[in-house]
Amino acid sequence: MKKISKYYPLIPVFAAYLVMFLIGFFIPGMWQMAALLAFYCALGQSWNIFMGMTGYVDFGYVTFIALGTYGMSLGITYFSQYEWLGIGIIVIGVVLALVLASLSALLEAFIALRLRGAYFAIACIGINEGLRYFIEGAKIWGGSEGLIYFGALVQAFGRDTVNQLTTFWSDFSVFVIAALAAFLNMHYMRSKIGYALTAVREDEDAAKVMGINANKYKTIAFLTSGWLGASVGAMAWGLKLGHVYPGDVFVIHYTVECIVVVLLGGAGTLLGPVVGGLIYALSKYWLAVVMPGFQLLIFAPIILVIIVMAPEGVVGLLKRKLKGTKLEMFIE
Amino acid sequence: MSLLRLENVTKRFGGLVAVNGVSLEIDAGQFVGIVGPNGSGKTTLFNVISGVYFPEQGRVIFEENDITRLPSYKRAPLGMGRTFQIPRPFSSASVRENVAVGAMFGTLSGKLSVDDSLELADAIIARVGLKGYRDKQAGTLTPVEKKMMEIARALAMKPKLLLMDEAMAGMHPTDIDQMVAFIKMVAVEDKIAVVAMVEHIMRAVVGMAEKVIVLHQGAKLVDAPTKEALGDPRVVEVYLGRPLKE
Amino acid sequence: MTFTLLGNLTHGLLLGGVYGLATMGLSLIFGVINVVNVGHGQFIMVGAFITLTMFTLLGLSPVVAIPVALIIGMALGFFFFYTVIRRLIRAPELTSLLATFAMGILLEEVAKLIFGADFRGYNWAVGKITLPITTIPLSKVYAFLGSIAIALFLYFWFSRTRIGTAIRAVIEDNEGARVCGVNVGWIYALSFAIGIGLTVMSGVLLTMFIPVGINPYMGGVYTLKAFVIAVLGGLTSPYGAFFAGLIFGLIENGAYTLFALIPGVAPFPLTVSLAFWMLFFLLLVKPTGLLGK
Repeated sequence: MKKISKYYPLIPVFAAYLVMFLIGFFIPGMWQMAALLAFYCALGQSWNIFMGMTGYVDFGYVTFIALGTYGMSLGITYFSQYEWLGIGIIVIGVVLALVLASLSALLEAFIALRLRGAYFAIACIGINEGLRYFIEGAKIWGGSEGLIYFGALVQAFGRDTVNQLTTFWSDFSVFVIAALAAFLNMHYMRSKIGYALTAVREDEDAAKVMGINANKYKTIAFLTSGWLGASVGAMAWGLKLGHVYPGDVFVIHYTVECIVVVLLGGAGTLLGPVVGGLIYALSKYWLAVVMPGFQLLIFAPIILVIIVMAPEGVVGLLKRKLKGTKLEMFIE
Repeated sequence: MSLLRLENVTKRFGGLVAVNGVSLEIDAGQFVGIVGPNGSGKTTLFNVISGVYFPEQGRVIFEENDITRLPSYKRAPLGMGRTFQIPRPFSSASVRENVAVGAMFGTLSGKLSVDDSLELADAIIARVGLKGYRDKQAGTLTPVEKKMMEIARALAMKPKLLLMDEAMAGMHPTDIDQMVAFIKMVAVEDKIAVVAMVEHIMRAVVGMAEKVIVLHQGAKLVDAPTKEALGDPRVVEVYLGRPLKE
Repeated sequence: MTFTLLGNLTHGLLLGGVYGLATMGLSLIFGVINVVNVGHGQFIMVGAFITLTMFTLLGLSPVVAIPVALIIGMALGFFFFYTVIRRLIRAPELTSLLATFAMGILLEEVAKLIFGADFRGYNWAVGKITLPITTIPLSKVYAFLGSIAIALFLYFWFSRTRIGTAIRAVIEDNEGARVCGVNVGWIYALSFAIGIGLTVMSGVLLTMFIPVGINPYMGGVYTLKAFVIAVLGGLTSPYGAFFAGLIFGLIENGAYTLFALIPGVAPFPLTVSLAFWMLFFLLLVKPTGLLGK
């Protein structure tokens, strides 16, 4: 059927995630690795919706992840006293994460009205730094010491459940988020939203004259990307860390990692973030064993090399090579 | 009821008055040419009509609705299509996708699915004669092909009013005649009013327009049926200057 | 030292000079090559470390570090230009953004590798000068004088020398300059190098002002501030950038004083946060005139 074949490119993506999950689940000792892979793929996929589709670069993307973490922390800190809520506490955490992320996304959409390109990118760094130092300066949410909520979590759920939550369920949700992100990515690309964003990205004024409400579509992309990023933050960090403070989460280098993942794999493609996430996560894992602390030192020049030599990334190159062949419809 | 009506529209940029109290009326299905030398305010007028600028004074009325302050993206679904002098394709997308964008967000916005839009795009691409180029990346087309695609994209919007901004600039005389014939045919079939803005290509104006509006220094000089307007001595003077003294 | 509002404002003005100089480098690069150096703050960090090293290892005063920083900065500038930037001039804006961003990260990591992540500082005790409103360490005065001197020098250099004029020509219209026989490619490289050199130099001056807190990750905050200043002063005018820097310094220190009066808040991080809110306010107030083109 014509309609289903539109979604073929999702097949390799879901297959990859499934394989990752199975390896992690069934082979002892591999779960951490699989979780790391899922983390970077999820982030890459979420960031791709932002940058790949709208063409806007958000250097402060980590804000969403950080806000997600805070959302979960706040939820746990303030609601675990109501033990009857049970899993609802986690749900509240996620909701808070999404609410905070929405505020930031809307702020960025507002900024996008006035700024483009480099200015927008830097303004987003501004949001990150501004928020971080505001939390520290105004001493909200625990100020620079942050929140310690591990105790509250244990009190609400008991040690065993918390153990399960932090070692399995949080990582599993990252897999789910990654798959969701991939699906949304594809769905947007194939729908009016994708066409509108491509048009806006290429030539915003011409797009407007064609009837496209540029701001509406940018906002949709920002919100989606922000929610996904915040969800990753809430589940991968919020649930696990037990302690959050501004200096730990509002850290620009996570944005760098998102950029590496997407650049490596191919910006604006569906499979790209997965490929990039795999390569990056594996390299990071390996480097952490061999040369701890040097990942960014290695990756910064790699980014430069990719930008100069192969800006389309692995999947971009692959797409070009496969043009006109049967495999083309599986690679997006 | 006129399709488009401008009432005493004035647009200023700081101290410069680009459009000065222009009023005009265009009926459904009419062919109108707007001409005038460089700097006469044609582009600004077009931009006011399509919503890129809002005028300081005056009103823009489309089908009896005051759209003076309506943002440009809301004018498209009402039936206003536009091509640009220098084509503005969405370069990384295919021709088909470009034209489909017109269908998706034009007058049929909300009524067409993505697949329907692509089908409609195919039909228009065939009509315009770009069938072989359907899947080509828009950025790789030649300038003339890009112009054709611009027109196809605008047509896909199923507009009631098509604003053509110097569409014939840089084309061969024979191509111009073909283009004019094509546009007339399509416009009559689809009941589109065509407002063409041209600067030097009188061939196109004469071939296409029922009436001509001549602008000079932002104000309307003449608004009359084509032959009459172009023969008007004031128009001749504006374009060619005073006759040489013997 | 007694801190009155006026006293703080004076400090702010002096610091503003240094900020302004740093931003001039940013403006120059943008004006000539149309590249926004997102790694701006990291080059300032390089200057800071140069000063630190020369002072603690070689016992040389920061004043000596100034020309050294310029040379090293220009060398870095040429290096990065010819390896990376040159190929990206015609590429979409995104790529040069990401490239300069990556350059900044690279500098941070190299600095971390060489110096470690700890916060360092030095003490350049050259005495103070006492004014009625406040007491100012002479190092800060020197920093301010330094930035004014360099800014003035640049002013004359741009208007009087051949090369300076060539650069101005390229900023105005690079095609026109090319047609007039200007070797635009070389001007691009030179301008980038000078811009980076200026930025690294300002790092030296900055440490003369704030000789503590030197660490590989100190740069990020300054990128943001430079951006706000550039937007304030108009990214196309290096001189506008300088004056905007002065204003920024004033506002920053004034705000610090005010914040310090509010109980229950930490004034220093709040002041840093201020740069962002200023930016936001600017965006609200000057929505269209932002790019100053």
